[in-house]
Parts: sequence; structure tokens; C-alpha cells
Amino acid sequence: MKRHLDLRVPGAVALLLAAAGLAWHGQPDIAQKWDLLAPEFTQQLTEREVYIDPGELLQLMNNDYIDLLIFDVRNESDWNQFHLVDAEHINLAELPAQRDRLLSLPENAVLVVVSNDEMLATEAWQHLMVIARPNAYILAGGLNLWLNIYGVPEEEVAGHGKANLARPDGTLRHRFTLSLGNRHAAARPDEHRTAPRAYTAKVKLLKKIVKAGGCS
Amino acid sequence: MKAIAEKLKYWNPYVGGVLLGVLLFLSFLVTSHGLGASGGVNRVAVAVEDLVIPEHIDKTPYIASMAGGDRNPLDHWIVWEVAGILLGGFVSGMLRGRVKLQTYHGPQISAHSRWGYAFVGGMLMGYGARLARGCTSSQALSGGAVLSVGSWAFMFAVFAGGYGLAWFVRRLWQPEA
Amino acid sequence: MAPFDIAVNLGAGAYYFIYLPIGFAFGFILESSGFGDSRQLAAQFYFRELRVLKVMFTAIIVAMTLIFWSTALGLLDYDMIWVNPTYLWPGIAGGLIMGVGFILGGYCPGTSLVSVATLKIDGMFFLLGLVAGVVLFGETVSYIDAFWHSSDMGTFTLPELLHLETGVVVFLVVCLALVMFIGFEWLRGRLYGSSR
Repeated sequence: MKRHLDLRVPGAVALLLAAAGLAWHGQPDIAQKWDLLAPEFTQQLTEREVYIDPGELLQLMNNDYIDLLIFDVRNESDWNQFHLVDAEHINLAELPAQRDRLLSLPENAVLVVVSNDEMLATEAWQHLMVIARPNAYILAGGLNLWLNIYGVPEEEVAGHGKANLARPDGTLRHRFTLSLGNRHAAARPDEHRTAPRAYTAKVKLLKKIVKAGGCS
Repeated sequence: MKAIAEKLKYWNPYVGGVLLGVLLFLSFLVTSHGLGASGGVNRVAVAVEDLVIPEHIDKTPYIASMAGGDRNPLDHWIVWEVAGILLGGFVSGMLRGRVKLQTYHGPQISAHSRWGYAFVGGMLMGYGARLARGCTSSQALSGGAVLSVGSWAFMFAVFAGGYGLAWFVRRLWQPEA
Repeated sequence: MAPFDIAVNLGAGAYYFIYLPIGFAFGFILESSGFGDSRQLAAQFYFRELRVLKVMFTAIIVAMTLIFWSTALGLLDYDMIWVNPTYLWPGIAGGLIMGVGFILGGYCPGTSLVSVATLKIDGMFFLLGLVAGVVLFGETVSYIDAFWHSSDMGTFTLPELLHLETGVVVFLVVCLALVMFIGFEWLRGRLYGSSR
């Protein structure tokens, strides 16, 4: 018994110290986690591996085998003016609450993040990667580019047919005569009436062998 | 009890605990989840059922998710972990001469009664483990280590149930008073 | 950052190279700690033996401390590890039933496997009962479907419940475990005399 006592007390003390140290050190928040994970994901951003062409998004919208989620992270008034059919309006602060849902997405789920240009969507994408690492992509050029391609000039205020993409500032540079949300023609373009675009497909379906832990 | 333990040279429980804790940690590190046991038994049972009465499987939603259609219930990590547990237990037992066909039972009851109680206890365990969505390995150990509220509640319930009934069934285990 | 989702890269090989060894180590440790012996396990509930408590809680606090230090240092991604979802009342009900099964049967599922591996007949009967219970559940769960899906709180952790920092909760749990060890040792000494 004396021999055991020798190890038990130091062991207990060591654990207590380790736990106390943990309480003092704290857990990483989203920003710190991004810093730790950044090398893995920054490459995907700089090599444009996760930016998908509007043509590819249109394909996804019409693909029955894919479970498409669209997260629109813009502000309220831009959302009211125009948003894509089946898009969900979620701003950055609300992303952490999506964690449980994102962790249980099916294998054929694809998530696309959209904003006016790319900046806000990219930031949201980084958050999502840190929170739940879903199979997520960013709409290249944002909705400004989308509307340049699929926008119907009649619905927009004269002279705002084509947004200038050279100097993106995060604003929606199309003005609509009416804030119709997703009832514009461009919210779900008819792929038979639009010219097909040439692009490199980026979306991949990820296969998971271990879908869940636990005793089931 | 101490006498038996010393005769059979079981490890110091704290040592066993530390080793198990490290294993549990490594499991999370490498596989993203903890340990498990009852799920493996469940799946093997379902696989046998699938051989004998496959149509029934397809009609029962709880089992169909595991073995319906041409899904293979054995194609799951936990089945392999259970196989490993059997092997590991066997080897450890062999190394220490503890592999012997015998029945462990309290001194006040016979081996045959023990078998009956073991079966009933096992049945309750099997049912309870599915109800709680896990057993002591997956819920209490693994879920407890990652601080899941449900797992801790479960753990306390298990001890409450055991301690609560212990006095009433002491004849099963206690030596003569 | 771990976890590395090795299973995806190794494919089915993961089963052989990862899960079999993990299970092996698990079974080995359990048997070596005496958990293949129903008398040892049941003695827990009479305060004559404290193995179950010591091994279980030591394992939990050691794993917990290692896990959360790894997440703190950025070696492990907490959001990517499996945290059992909380279904509160089915969990408590199931736990109570399992507690009763534990004291009657003398094993829990994992330890019964170890017992069977060392050819203990009571372990075999227990395992048969386990299968019966599991099959019984599968057949009858549709009748209690509403209950079985009730109180789904999703992934709910103690830090969230107590509104405390993770590290603080870890510290409190370690303290709780240590106090429990000391308390139970004292209790055992009082009940059975210091037989050290």
C-alpha cells in the first residue's frame, strides 16, 4: 500500500495541475482556430480550388443527385433586392449555430456560399471550415458576376446592366426596379435559354467511411 | 476481494485506468471517435437475423437502417473493434493463465443460478444499451471524456440503478454475513 | 490537425490496421484489470472493490485532459470529434435499466466480451442475454418511438450546460473524481475495516 501511495499522490497532483493549466490556457476561438488550420485551407483559396464558376452553380441547381445548400451571407436589404432560389439567408454571426446540421449532412451534400463579390463569402467559408469542415465552395465573382451573366436587363434600372468587377467593394452593383427577392428571372436561370459556359468543374463529392461514432 | 485480486495478479486499477485513458485519447485522435462494444454485438445479431429472416429486417425500420436491402451490418468499424476486444481479452487471459472454462459466482448461490441471473442481466443490459444509444464503453467512457451531458446523466443513472438494487440482491454476490 | 480521417485514406484496411488493434488493446487492458471477473465488477456496488470506479473515472479524466490539451494546443480539432448527442430521458431510462442489469448480470457489454474470451460460462450466458435484449429492443422500439426520440438536445456539453469555460469544467471534473476516489476509499475502510 505504501508503494501505491507513492504514485497516487503525485499522479493526482499532476492531473490537477494539468486540469488547472487547461482552465488557465483556454480553448481556441474561431479566429485562433483559423490561424491553426490556415495552412491547410489557405492553399485551397489561393489556388482557387474552391471558387466555382456561375455556370457550375447553375449545373448544381439542376442536378437532382446533389443535395445543394446555398448560404447567402449578405445583408438584409441586398437579400430583399435579389437572392437565388433556395438560398438561405445566414449571416456570419449565425454560422456557429449551423454546426450540428453541417456535421450531419449526407454524403451528396454540396454547400455554396454566396455574397455580392467574393470577400464576404470567403470569410464565411473560412468560418465554416473551422466550425464543421463541410464540402463547401464559394461562388466566384459573387452575385455581381452572376447577374452580369444571367441578369435580365429589363428588370434592372437602366444603365446598370453590367456591374464592374474590376474593383469589388462588396456592394451589390445591380439595381433593381423592384425588390423581388428570388422572384427575378435570374434567381433560377433557365439553362435552356442561356448560353452554356465553359469552366473547370471544381465540386467533388467526399466519401466518408466513418460517418459517426458511438455504439450503433 | 483483495485476496482474490492479489492471487490473480490483476493490475493496479489506477494503472489500468491511465492506460485506458491514453487508449481512449488515441482513439479520438486517430479515428475521431471513442470506443464502443454493444453496437458491435448488436450488428452481429442483426447479421445473423439477416441470414435467417431477411424479409423481416426490411420491414423493421430500426434494423433496416443497418441491414436492409443489401447493406452489410458487419461493414462497420465497431464490429472490428469487438473482434479485437475478444482477441485482446483472450491473449491477456492466456498470458496469465486465466483462460479456464468456469463460472464466476458469489459464494451464496450456485453456478446454475448464476447462469440464469447472467442471462437476465444481459437482457436488461442489451435493451438498456440500445435505449440509451450506447453502453458504458461508448456513452460513459467516450461520451464522458468529451463532456457530453447525456453521457454523464447516463453514467449516473447506471450507478444509481446498480447501487439502488444492490442491497436487495446481495445474496447473489456477498459472502455469508 | 487531428483527427486525420485515416479511414478514408486506408479504405477497408482501416478496419484491420486501426480498429482491430484498438479493440485488442481495449480487451487486453480490461482483462488485465480484472474486468473479466463478474465478482470484481459486482463488488463495486457493495463498496468492497473499487476497481470499476477507479478504472473508469481515471480513464475518463486522463482522456479528457489529454483531449482538451490537444484541442487547446491546436493538435486536435474538437469540432471534428464525435460527441454523443444528448437524448436526456431515453439515456437516463436506459442507464437505470443497465444499472439493474449490471448488478444482476455482473457485467457490462464490453467486459462480457472479455469474460467470454477467457471462457467464463456466466459471461457467455450474459452475452446471449445481451443479444436477446438487443433483438427485443429492435422489435419493440416502434412502440416507444415517441419516447425514444424525445428530449433530443443535440450535441450538448457540460460547459454549455453550466455556462463555464471548458477548462474550468475539466478541472472541476478532475476534482470531483479525486474527491470520489478518496471518499470511496474512506467508506470502504469504514465498512470493512482497513484490510490493507
